[in-house]
Amino acid sequence: MDRDTIWAVIVGQIREVVPELADRPIAETESMAELGLDSIERSEIIMNTLEAIGLDLPMVQVHGPKNLGELADLLHAKRHA
Amino acid sequence: MPSATPDIVFTGIGVACGLGYGKANLIDGLLAGRDVFSTLQRPGRQAPDGVAPFLGIEMADPPSLLTARVERTAGFGARVAMAVVDEAWREAGLDAVAPERIGLVVGGSNLFSREQALLARDYAGRPNFVPPRAGHAYLDSEIGGLLASTLAIRGFTLGVGAASASGAVAVMQAAEAIRSGRVDSCIALGALQDVSTMDLLGMRALGALGAPRFADRPGQACRPFDRDHDGFIFGESCAALVLRRADQAGAGYGALVGAAQVADGQRGPEPDGAGQRRAIAQALAQAGLRPGDVDYVNAHATSTPKGDEVEADTLAASGLGHAWVNATKSVIGHGLAAAGAIEVAALLLQMRAGRLHPTRNLDHPIAPPLRHVIGTAQPHQARVALKTSFGFGGIDTALVIRGAS
Repeated sequence: MDRDTIWAVIVGQIREVVPELADRPIAETESMAELGLDSIERSEIIMNTLEAIGLDLPMVQVHGPKNLGELADLLHAKRHA
Repeated sequence: MPSATPDIVFTGIGVACGLGYGKANLIDGLLAGRDVFSTLQRPGRQAPDGVAPFLGIEMADPPSLLTARVERTAGFGARVAMAVVDEAWREAGLDAVAPERIGLVVGGSNLFSREQALLARDYAGRPNFVPPRAGHAYLDSEIGGLLASTLAIRGFTLGVGAASASGAVAVMQAAEAIRSGRVDSCIALGALQDVSTMDLLGMRALGALGAPRFADRPGQACRPFDRDHDGFIFGESCAALVLRRADQAGAGYGALVGAAQVADGQRGPEPDGAGQRRAIAQALAQAGLRPGDVDYVNAHATSTPKGDEVEADTLAASGLGHAWVNATKSVIGHGLAAAGAIEVAALLLQMRAGRLHPTRNLDHPIAPPLRHVIGTAQPHQARVALKTSFGFGGIDTALVIRGAS
């Protein structure tokens, strides 16, 4: 699974959880907090993404990214570890 | 200056049941004695293969009142609660009341068991992906949380569990919160009891659920006070009542002039006449009224043989044989947590309409004789009405309501 696919999954999950963002461009430099997502929404998006890309990891292993691009990088690395 | 012990009046009503959303659907359907009974179909609530289907009534989906972002996270019962509270809120004009002076009492417990069963089913093989919101939304406080995060309720939210008397107890607690000065306006919600297959199987095993005799005729299965009753029939429902101080809000639909709740010492479903009579006597005493002053009784009347028999004895022994009696469950089924609240709504709407709805399927009334409304709606301008609500666990309640003159 390439990084572009993982990025598309992340964006899709964000728009699933917050339908109001459907038409808003989402940049890799933005964070979920900057998009106005609360902590429960952030967790749901990450869990949904993990499941969608077939990664069964403890949430603590995906803490750390400062923005969505870094999250995509991390998930891509985990997926191919 | 507001008086120290204000009259408490009902000024807003919101309802949902198998007759539809809104007061007009409820009163019209009740007075017409509409038959909306069928077989329960909702996922997580259907009878397993090889087991007799569950009869009952299910409601339409609620109107969409939340943002898409919130709506996708709100369960069925929470969205229905939003719909009925919105209706009652608007009618009562609560936008004009200071949020800190508005309270909310949610009547009912174990309100999401059907959705819990679906969650257990859906995540059985992938436990690490249970949605985070499941960690708080399984609590009954979810209803109060959703409502207060959407509407300007900042006095307090509170849940009360009293089985099938929960709606009535919510009304009592709401009135108490106003009387004590804690708030000026309080919403009493009889929450939707979103029963699961397991809940229904348990109640069937208990012998409480009707149907064996009328399994192929759902419309005839719910027959409170009738010789051929054989158990209650579930009906999805939910109701919100706004209670306010009369000195701030006027006469509204009527005033809650007496209310009592007693423990009768039973653990399970067994009705207890002594407890029921005590609740009625206490509520009337609080109202400063005698049994002869009551001219209409909206009975608990679930259609279970023992329950109906004990309540009929209670009403006769309490000196209420002269009063008109009807059973709202014969039209909308038994809403469990919601029953007491939606039946108070039915009572108030009938008072305003000057007509009482018939008890459906009451072909052969059991003894002792009561003044049942049978066949068609009865013109009657009720002045003082009694509402009985009883719950598993030995809970007996009685509310006395004086109509707005």
